[in-house]
Amino acid sequence: MAKMTLEELRNLRESKKKEMVQRDGDEKSAQIIIGMGTCGIAAGAKEAFDAFLDELNSHEIKDTRITQTGCMGLCFSEPTVEVAVPGMPRVIYGNVTDKVARRIVREHIIEKALVSDHIFDKPAADIIK
Amino acid sequence: MHATLCDMIMDLVQNSIEADASEITLSVEETEEKLMVVITDNGKGMSAETLEKVKDPFYSDGLKHRHRKVGLGLPFLFQTAEMTGGTAGIESQEGVGTTVTFTLDRSNVDVPMFGDFTTAAMTLMTYGFDVNLKIERSIGEKNYAISRAELNDALGDLNDAESLVLLKEFIASQEADLGTL
Ligand SMILES: Nc1ncnc2c1ncn2[C@@H]1O[C@H](COP(=O)(O)OP(=O)(O)OP(=O)(O)O)[C@@H](O)[C@H]1O
Ligand SMILES: [Mg+2]
Repeated sequence: MAKMTLEELRNLRESKKKEMVQRDGDEKSAQIIIGMGTCGIAAGAKEAFDAFLDELNSHEIKDTRITQTGCMGLCFSEPTVEVAVPGMPRVIYGNVTDKVARRIVREHIIEKALVSDHIFDKPAADIIK
Repeated sequence: MHATLCDMIMDLVQNSIEADASEITLSVEETEEKLMVVITDNGKGMSAETLEKVKDPFYSDGLKHRHRKVGLGLPFLFQTAEMTGGTAGIESQEGVGTTVTFTLDRSNVDVPMFGDFTTAAMTLMTYGFDVNLKIERSIGEKNYAISRAELNDALGDLNDAESLVLLKEFIASQEADLGTL
């Protein structure tokens, strides 16, 4: 791989933007928030980040943002990841390994079904209308 | 605690972000014998009294972890340096900023593996908000430098999946160009 310049990076980004159909606003896109505090890092949060990115990329899903937060206070179930897909309850998943990250992309983000066996927390049923 | 030196570096850069720094420089230099890392920030800094305490694993500022009073980032660094005959230092001035420096002997068997710098750099470049992180990296004679401001300028929103993929490719190509020792 030849060393990429900033100019090449900018051009790549712009050509990809043109390919993309204009969507109506950010509200529609899914959000993945990865707990990247000390415990998260030690437990493999970076590997989860890589897996999310790879899986999203291989399914050509563009309208998803991945952000990070510090310690979520759930050290015992790190890596923890919060997923917010419009029209679905916000969910916190625990013990998100490479495999689980890929399942979250396929099941939660693409098929809109919760990955129930890794849910750490979600709003109680009565507050989801 | 941490499996790799990259994990340790991430932790230290996060400390700078958490100290509300707006400018952070991370320099990672590898030579045949040594690994040298310098992290400089213009964050809130520490008083002399706090500085004394941070080497103690049973000290954390009580804000970051509400249920835990233990900070692990810095003690882990000092412990690793001590165990392997390396050096580690921290200088800080309240209201001015902090510099953390360490040098490790690459041939010492007890030095943790280096780890995956590409992912660590991508993660740090997209962690937190409004922090201009600069990364200076060199292996032997080869080097590169990248800053969050210029990446932002080229890619726009760094946190969307597409930017992240390109960002990772970009950093990977810089790393590949460095080659190995
Ligand atoms: N760059 C810095 N600028 C200002 N204060 C710092 C910096 N680095 C560390 N500190 C102070 O030293 C304390 C100990 O840091 P350390 O990384 O060991 O633990 P922590 O950040 O509190 O917790 P953890 O890293 O485990 O999440 C911090 O709570 C903070 O008060
Ligand atoms: Mg820390």
